[in-house]
Amino acid sequence: MPAPLTVGVSGINAVDNPGPGVGVARSLREAEDLDLRIVGLAYDAMEPGIYMDWLLDRSFVVPYPSAGRDAYIERLRYIQSVAGLDFIIPTLDTEMPFYSRCQGELETLGMHCFVPTPEMYRLRGKDRLTEVAETIGIELPETEVVSSQEELVVAVEKVGLPVMIKGAFYQARRAHTTQEALQHCHRIVAEWGYPIIVQQVVSGDELNVVAVGDGVGGCLGRVAIRKMWITELGKMWTGVTIHNQAILRASDAFARAYRWRGPFELECIASAGRLYLVEINPRFPAWCYFATGVGLNLPARMITTALGGPLSAESDYPAGRLFIRYTYELVTRMEQFQRLVIRGETAEAQR
Amino acid sequence: MTRLRQLALNRDGFAFDPSTGTSFSLNPSGVAVLEGLMGDRSTEQIARDLRERYQVSLEEAVRDVADFVDSLRAHDLL
Repeated sequence: MPAPLTVGVSGINAVDNPGPGVGVARSLREAEDLDLRIVGLAYDAMEPGIYMDWLLDRSFVVPYPSAGRDAYIERLRYIQSVAGLDFIIPTLDTEMPFYSRCQGELETLGMHCFVPTPEMYRLRGKDRLTEVAETIGIELPETEVVSSQEELVVAVEKVGLPVMIKGAFYQARRAHTTQEALQHCHRIVAEWGYPIIVQQVVSGDELNVVAVGDGVGGCLGRVAIRKMWITELGKMWTGVTIHNQAILRASDAFARAYRWRGPFELECIASAGRLYLVEINPRFPAWCYFATGVGLNLPARMITTALGGPLSAESDYPAGRLFIRYTYELVTRMEQFQRLVIRGETAEAQR
Repeated sequence: MTRLRQLALNRDGFAFDPSTGTSFSLNPSGVAVLEGLMGDRSTEQIARDLRERYQVSLEEAVRDVADFVDSLRAHDLL
């Protein structure tokens, strides 16, 4: 393992719909056993993480993965040439297909990552949740997968209003009438295409678990929480750690059954003594620093494991710890912003 | 282990259920009943304790304990 190891982290857009990158970078910065330089991979010069020089040593603007595989790899190679890039932690949904597909190629270029394979990645599709929920022993709200408007109307009648109308990978909207369901369906199909998922609305406590699968059936650690307060965008603002055996067992079963490699989050709803699977995210969640704060530094454990280092067996954490997000203001000079706009990169932070 | 036994209860009347993350606030008599139940005392014993501590009739204490137990059941704690 080179020392220091340079780690690229994306998703440093710590805004009202926060990316996980700042939480990941903060966790890495607190990893006492790792000698790290942390490089931000940003899509916009306004991403707040760029200016958090106590967390990131340097930042670079990268093209969207949709701009093409070659352009993205070329940019990563440039960053590697000027700043070193030994390991990359992608944290955004839109990046995962690229990293999942190109993991081997990046590896040969000396850029390691620890992400699911394309086959694992497809499991997070909402059209696969029935199979996953059954495998990991939890329930799924009544769900119908449809591929036409006619099927949608039948499915809404079968599931019963209100329903959630979901794209296979992105977007979810609640519908209270069949007409509203059709409107949501139109919008989602226009952007993402079919299939559309029609799902029963289940009300209850929102329980989530973050974990990292080791790729051979085990977990490098997991922490379960209950959301206590969420924003209008559905993002957790306050939460509490819990020892809920059902969701912890489900995360273990998920890692074991699919030999999951990399971070994942299971989003569940607990209602009337039952646990329902709502979503699987194949990445760290925005609240991942919560796990670090209660003693399980999952980003650090992932890097250590991926590079073959020893890992402490400690994987317990206390229940009843609170997570409270807050807003903060940062005042800084224009130089880094200017450099980023003109050159697409910042200068090395002075420590 | 029932969820009742897992509750973290402090003397100020704050109870936290570590399996669900739910918290409850209780008045002093609620704390007394909950401590009794967590300590395996029968509802009759707990009602007698309440009668002595709060100078209420046994009937009233029995009714209050029964109401509290119903409330715990409603929260799936019993």
